[in-house]
Amino acid sequence: MSGGYRQQPGGAGGGIRKDGKRVAGKLRFTPPGAGGSRPVSSPRDLDGIPESVGGNEPQPAGHHVHDRLRTGTTVGRSTALVDANAKVTGQAWYGDDVRLPNEVIGRILRSPHHYARIRSIDTSAAEAMPGVLAIATGSDAPKTFGVLPVTKDEHAMAVEKVRHVGDLVACVAAVDEATAMEALGAIVVDYEELEPEFDPRKGLEDVDEPIHWRGKYHVGRTNVQKRVHQAFGDRSKIEHAAATSRRAWRFEGVHHGFTEPHAVVAHWDANGRLQLYTPQQVPHYTHRALATVLNVPMHQINVVRTFVGGGFGGKSDPFPHEMCAAILARKCGRPVRITFDREEVYWINRGRHPSYIEVKLDADEDGRVAGLDVDALIDGGAFASFGHVTSYYNGVLATAPYELGSFHYTGARVWTNKPASGAMRGHGAVNTRCAVEVGLDDIAEQLAVDPIDLRLANLLPPHSRTISGFRITSNGMREALRRVKEGSGWDEKFRKMPLGKGIGIGCGFFISGSGLPIHWDPNRFPHATVHIQVDMDGGVTVHTGAADIGQGSTTAVAQVVSEVLALPLDMIHVRSHESDTSPVDLGSYSSRVTFMNCNAAIRAAMEIRDELLNAAWDMLGYHPTTLVMVDRRIVYKHDPSIGVSYLQALHKAQEDKGALIARGAYRSPPMGGVHKGAAAGLAPAYSFSAYVAEVDVDVETGLVKCTRVWAAHDCGKALNPLAVEGQIIGSCHMGLGQVLSEQMVYGRTGHLQNANLLQYQIPSVHEMPHVTPIIVESSDPEGPFGAKEAGEGPLLPILPAVCNAVYDAVGVRPSSLPLTPDVVWADIQKRIKKEGVEDPLELESPRLTHGPLQEKLAARAEEHHSRDRARQRTEDTSPYVNGVLFGFDPTRPIDEQLEGWAAIDDPDPESMAEMGYAGRAWLKQEQRQMGGDV
Amino acid sequence: MVGEARVPMLPQAPKTIWQAKVNHRSVEVLAPSNAVLLDVLRDNVGQLGVKRGCDLGTCGCCAVLVDGQPRLSCMTLAGDVEGCAITTVEGLAEGHHLAPIQTCFAMHGGSQCGFCTPGFLISAQALLYQTSSPTEAEVNEAIEGNLCRCTGYQPIVESIMAAAALLRGEGEAPVPPTNPHADPHPSGPEEPQLPPGHAR
Ligand code: FES
Ligand code: FES
Repeated sequence: MSGGYRQQPGGAGGGIRKDGKRVAGKLRFTPPGAGGSRPVSSPRDLDGIPESVGGNEPQPAGHHVHDRLRTGTTVGRSTALVDANAKVTGQAWYGDDVRLPNEVIGRILRSPHHYARIRSIDTSAAEAMPGVLAIATGSDAPKTFGVLPVTKDEHAMAVEKVRHVGDLVACVAAVDEATAMEALGAIVVDYEELEPEFDPRKGLEDVDEPIHWRGKYHVGRTNVQKRVHQAFGDRSKIEHAAATSRRAWRFEGVHHGFTEPHAVVAHWDANGRLQLYTPQQVPHYTHRALATVLNVPMHQINVVRTFVGGGFGGKSDPFPHEMCAAILARKCGRPVRITFDREEVYWINRGRHPSYIEVKLDADEDGRVAGLDVDALIDGGAFASFGHVTSYYNGVLATAPYELGSFHYTGARVWTNKPASGAMRGHGAVNTRCAVEVGLDDIAEQLAVDPIDLRLANLLPPHSRTISGFRITSNGMREALRRVKEGSGWDEKFRKMPLGKGIGIGCGFFISGSGLPIHWDPNRFPHATVHIQVDMDGGVTVHTGAADIGQGSTTAVAQVVSEVLALPLDMIHVRSHESDTSPVDLGSYSSRVTFMNCNAAIRAAMEIRDELLNAAWDMLGYHPTTLVMVDRRIVYKHDPSIGVSYLQALHKAQEDKGALIARGAYRSPPMGGVHKGAAAGLAPAYSFSAYVAEVDVDVETGLVKCTRVWAAHDCGKALNPLAVEGQIIGSCHMGLGQVLSEQMVYGRTGHLQNANLLQYQIPSVHEMPHVTPIIVESSDPEGPFGAKEAGEGPLLPILPAVCNAVYDAVGVRPSSLPLTPDVVWADIQKRIKKEGVEDPLELESPRLTHGPLQEKLAARAEEHHSRDRARQRTEDTSPYVNGVLFGFDPTRPIDEQLEGWAAIDDPDPESMAEMGYAGRAWLKQEQRQMGGDV
Repeated sequence: MVGEARVPMLPQAPKTIWQAKVNHRSVEVLAPSNAVLLDVLRDNVGQLGVKRGCDLGTCGCCAVLVDGQPRLSCMTLAGDVEGCAITTVEGLAEGHHLAPIQTCFAMHGGSQCGFCTPGFLISAQALLYQTSSPTEAEVNEAIEGNLCRCTGYQPIVESIMAAAALLRGEGEAPVPPTNPHADPHPSGPEEPQLPPGHAR
């Protein structure tokens, strides 16, 4: 059928009366935009509608509040990204693709020294060069900024001191790149070199010249940026441990390795407003920082997020080069474009912290985890970045998914003269998680039980609280473990394979959106806001600040709107690039976008939906509760032939007010405890994952190759299974890089030695194992249609799974990552010496004969299985807190039931120092306690 | 720029006219005689679909087809390919009709952030010119020089396999859900058979 207007039953339009008279005043108008190749509405697809509202979609995890909004349109279906066509045709515009008329090129002068005081900068020679349009140095922007309001310690360009090789010193705008480079060479900087520090362990000592000075909060004269301590539970439980695993780990720093180098374009428009184009995950923070540094009000800045060529946390800080571009553009009055080369990407870093982590696990005679002690010393590099949060995450995100008898955490983040570490996919949780999961494997070995059964018998159930008070809602951990066990054929393989072949398990737990927006009180301003506008053409424009960094957030938002309004995806247009048009949003970090923005979008879409239904009520005479939205039509529930088209209802709804506009916001429920740091790690929901990895280890060379991975991730509800699987496989790839080959190598001189993609070894297609993604759906009660995060959590389990598989293959447990051949080989050699064999091939692989505990654990796991099922489906709504497994009554506060079960706030420095490196940070006093510098 | 050593830049090479056939279109631009193909394509010809990921031949984002052969444009002197037929990602589609490899990347999740996609499409297309029934090993080999940080390669391999199947004539090209085709004013489905006496 060709396009154009077709007569609808019950439609508007006057005409000729039966007696042949023309009806006055009723002219026919063509509905705008009608036409298209799909002129007939398709009937409801019951397979996309949940059981609870009469559809065919099974809901093993119970029903959900959003079920009644389901129309079977897109949710739960594999969908190409809405911007996929732009990406495959080369039309997606990334940072460096923004070319404004009259643009000039900016370049940055970087420090050649690790640590030095700047005595003077002479730019006169450079300024005199033809073609140089502007030069800026630190004195042009003396105000500090930083991603966290509590730790603003960065400048656009170094003021007073440079703190690492590659730190920004000055910048130049010139007519072309060659001239800009020449000019950089002509800037004369007089440095006074200072004693640099590269070893985070030495950061705990007093020095003459700490890298930053925090005034009265400074810890002694050390380089400790942040120290944290948390203790919960009952220490007496670990006195008679049946098994103990204590292991000191060393994790090298890793980088996000996104393919798009940073780039920025700044332009002060004709009205003197700043237009800043940048590939940012968190444009709003950049927006705030720009206003501070440039000293202009926020409303005079428009931050335009370009397409982002991969972020993974590495594009979530406000960056100094963004300030530089704006300053240069202001000085020379022309648009300035700064693009990094690959080396500069490493100088700005913000990758995962190099860490020293010590984990001690104690299990009692019943195979319960009686104690978990974590000590994490993390190397923050030269700036704070997200470090405040990272310091907490390294501990607190290890408090689930297992029920713990006690938990002790000491953490410290120190400054060193290296490029700053920051947030990276799996922020703060990855390294500790690896150490904990390998510890559990060790415990299982000592108790002679199967490690999966050990885990299954110690899981926190759905709708419970962790030891530190996190509120767990949906929890698909058990199903994830059971499904990878089944899928991988675990029982036939574990501890049964020949030398050199191994299989291992690892689990993960991660936040789905941080409960606390960093810059404001969550009770006074929402986490996320979405605006929807529908004008008479019927197209739906959605405004959101959610930053699509490739994970598909735009697609997810479009999908939920399309689902609620029963419109095909091509009628939904998401506008998310500009801060001028997008409501304030925190952007893409801590895996918050799907959870928070989609919730906000659903709320906005519900408003539109109500207006449409009311209009249809007017037209059809049926109450909205009896109307359903089907594909582009609103029909009477009991007789779908009675209905109006979407456009008719829309026009009716617009009669008095024109375009429909609605907004929705998301605010997290009140959460949290009172102890120090209680807010860190709070999230409205948590994701769970379990992986099994199979490896081949060459016993003679130590080369590890991961061959198969079964990856189960609980994402609540897969809005777009294709995207979820993409995230799982992608996470596997990134995690494999960290466990097998990636590391930032700082030589003895502290120089970064592999600032390029050749020596920084990201796995290529040949190193990739075959990954079987398994989606577990636990239907989170507060998630949009039940969804939780899928972007970061899936990275965690791959590291320990591979480590445990290496043990299964050759019987060694390396305790430093990455597991490069030399590391594994050295451990194999040690084992050879210890066992006195000649040839590595004579080594025996570990074997398991189940001990007496095995049956008990399996029985407990079975019992918990039915308990969890009932809780998940809210058939059992009794309270549950961590500690019930140890015999406490969940209806009474635990500290009433047992003395000694409490949060310990006042640390005893001596005992803390025994925990490990980070504990030793507590031996020092803060300046205010010492009476100095108040 | 890191380091104190101040090597004066070489005097800029004189500009010459560079001509080639880029995406079936003859172009003539003025570029330094020692220019690198990537720079010429992006800055002078304006093919911004060609991406710069590293400039060192390590990421594959900058791949283009030169007379049907995949080349890293960041490692190629423009002068060396003077007069050749160069295809960038923008030249794969015919007007609005995407090449099978492009549709398959979109539909099978072969592209997440999309920055590596132009390079992968070029490498894959070069393979598909040679054979429409590649083995998985051949596909892996074809894309081994391309780096992708988002997808973990598996969806990319699947996309290429699917595109090969399309080229062999198996199955029909999938239509991305964002292709415009919806009428906001549709008529209802067929009238249901109402039982006699049913009141509306
Ligand atoms: S830019 Fe050419 S290979 Fe990276
Ligand atoms: S899709 Fe992002 S790097 Fe490949």
